[in-house]
Amino acid sequence: MIQVESLTKHRSGVPVLDAVSMAGEEGGVTALVGPSGSGKSTLLRCLNGLDCFEAGAVSIAGHRLAPGSNPGGVLEALRRDVGMVFQQFNLFPHLSVLDNVTLAPRTVLKTPAAEARSRAVDLLDRVGLKSFAAARPATLSGGQQQRVAIARALAMQPRVMLFDEPTSALDPKMTAEVLDVIVDLAKAGQTMVVVTHDHGFAKRAATWVVELAAGKVARQGTAAEML
Amino acid sequence: MSPRLPRRIASIGLIIVTLSCVAAGAELDDVQRRGELVWAADQEGGGPHVFPDPADPRRISGFEVELTELIAGELGVKGRFLQGQWDRLPLLLGQSADCVINGIELTPERRRDYSCSRPYFGYALQLLGRRGAAPASFAELADPGPSGPWRVGVLTGSAAEMEMRARSVRGEVQVEVIGYDGTLDSLEQLQSGVLDAAVMDDCIFAFYADRYAKLRAVDRPFAGGFYTVLTSKATPGLAAAIDAALGTLITDGRLKALYDRWDLAGRQQMLILRDAAEVPPASQRTLVELIRQTLPLLLSSAGMTIVLACASFPIAIAIGLAVAIGRLHGPVWLAPFLTGYVEVLRGTPLMLQLYAIFFLLPKVGLVLPALLAAILGLALNYSAYESEIYRAGLKAVPLGQFEAALSLGLSKWQALRHVLVPQAVRIVMPPVTSDFIALFKDTSVCSAITVIELTKRYSVLALSTGRIVELAVVTALLYLCMSWPLALVSRWFEARLERPAGTTP
Repeated sequence: MIQVESLTKHRSGVPVLDAVSMAGEEGGVTALVGPSGSGKSTLLRCLNGLDCFEAGAVSIAGHRLAPGSNPGGVLEALRRDVGMVFQQFNLFPHLSVLDNVTLAPRTVLKTPAAEARSRAVDLLDRVGLKSFAAARPATLSGGQQQRVAIARALAMQPRVMLFDEPTSALDPKMTAEVLDVIVDLAKAGQTMVVVTHDHGFAKRAATWVVELAAGKVARQGTAAEML
Repeated sequence: MSPRLPRRIASIGLIIVTLSCVAAGAELDDVQRRGELVWAADQEGGGPHVFPDPADPRRISGFEVELTELIAGELGVKGRFLQGQWDRLPLLLGQSADCVINGIELTPERRRDYSCSRPYFGYALQLLGRRGAAPASFAELADPGPSGPWRVGVLTGSAAEMEMRARSVRGEVQVEVIGYDGTLDSLEQLQSGVLDAAVMDDCIFAFYADRYAKLRAVDRPFAGGFYTVLTSKATPGLAAAIDAALGTLITDGRLKALYDRWDLAGRQQMLILRDAAEVPPASQRTLVELIRQTLPLLLSSAGMTIVLACASFPIAIAIGLAVAIGRLHGPVWLAPFLTGYVEVLRGTPLMLQLYAIFFLLPKVGLVLPALLAAILGLALNYSAYESEIYRAGLKAVPLGQFEAALSLGLSKWQALRHVLVPQAVRIVMPPVTSDFIALFKDTSVCSAITVIELTKRYSVLALSTGRIVELAVVTALLYLCMSWPLALVSRWFEARLERPAGTTP
């Protein structure tokens, strides 16, 4: 499902990723761990083309990214199948919670409005926020916003979900409510890659753990072996 | 209450205070103590009256320049020239000018409002046309031209304008009278085919005839009158001295010699001046009468102001947004062209752009009606400012928003349309609103290309009726009636955009 081969990327002459190779199987949860600046987030952003790389290759959900900048069509097709959740939520502040969730299905997949709406309500129900459908994102707590962001990504029915430190901006109580949602997804068989500092969460949910240090894979193995 | 309202009331007050000071002018002894007679005229009015000397454009030339030197000499002082806009020259009296000498026609209204000297020149009104084109005679104006009323250009505020408007109101001629700020503007527009005809003092056309080889005089002059020297009614001593000076110049032959030197038929002028009829002053209208007569005109011109602003601003916003998006997200090769577009339009005056659209495009065969030219000019000029505002607005949307939209599978253009632009529009709402108000006021520049909006209409009416203060109050109230609802509408719009768009319960 996910295949990364000798991925190499420099930023101002300094290697950020140095011949990184890893794999993730269908239905598996891969945790990317390691100290700050080790390249975990960059690796994640290379998986959906938000960052480009100089050498190596990425195969994910049946799409393939080559070094350099990829054509818009390739990226759009890939991102339809690969959802992403950001550390800072990045909800669209001018849209209601419901419209945040329906925007992509309606504009990208051309799903009819009524269908997109009823699916969005189901997803909001799944993350426990059905009653907030009409609210503006700014009126929600951080944990609630992150759960909306997860629902928004799930609305595209992605084959792979990427999480970039999804709980780093949250306090412990809100962290728990977001992690519960992610663990539920894992149990339901969603393929995921999660950048995290939280070893407890990694132990609880990850099927495979990759530890990066200074842009290289330091170790990788099952959660039981690694943590 | 709008924050602009107190400022607007204050500026109306300032106008009234300024206008009420008009009475304080320099009397003869002040002029003689100062040693100079300040006379106002407009070089843009052109020859043979007052115009920049072709040999040295820093100096002015013209028969009125020499006439003023003679008059000043009789008063024992020197003349000092003061540049003003022709239709507003009388407003300078008593403030910075002692007298106005610039082809000012003797009319009942001027006799009522100012002190008018004895006539110093007899003019005749001449109809002008293009060689080989209709109208072939003045009588042809009685019926509409091939494409509706004849389009006739005149100098704003001149006797030619009043005469043609009066004849048009009486139904004697089927014409659309178009007023220009400069005499030569109507000759240019006639030559390039925008106008069917022009009307002006015969001596002006005689002076410029060689430059406009395609133009010709149609029929003999059809009306005429006299030029007078204007002074303030508060300076009777100065008025009497100028009258006496003119009398001396006429009797000792120096005026005839001056006119002969300028090829203005000195002998004939002396005969005309000898028989100059006295023009009675016009009667003062009551305030109710004044408002009843002027309000319909002021209202229709206010409508023009609204049309100009409301038609040009949406175009400016559309172009501005497109330019901003092109600069930030378009192909690399496009950006320098768009930057150039913005800098040229922002770096040159709106008036110049309007002139270019209105006077230069006809030379390459593209004739735009004045209203369309005005809307286009305003829209293009403001699009440069709007594009800078939208560029700032787009840059103010956090990068994470763009990335979030892309990672949901939206294309760059879909992300712009659904995520970036809607947020940028909300961010730039306050500066865009204030730009709209600025545009609303900038519409007055369009009078330079003959579009008569509220400010121009006020200026024309105030000068022709002499009721400067009363009409200023009426005009200011009309502006308030327009801008207040506009401010309310834009605030409502702002509030509406604050709510999430397309919210569904």
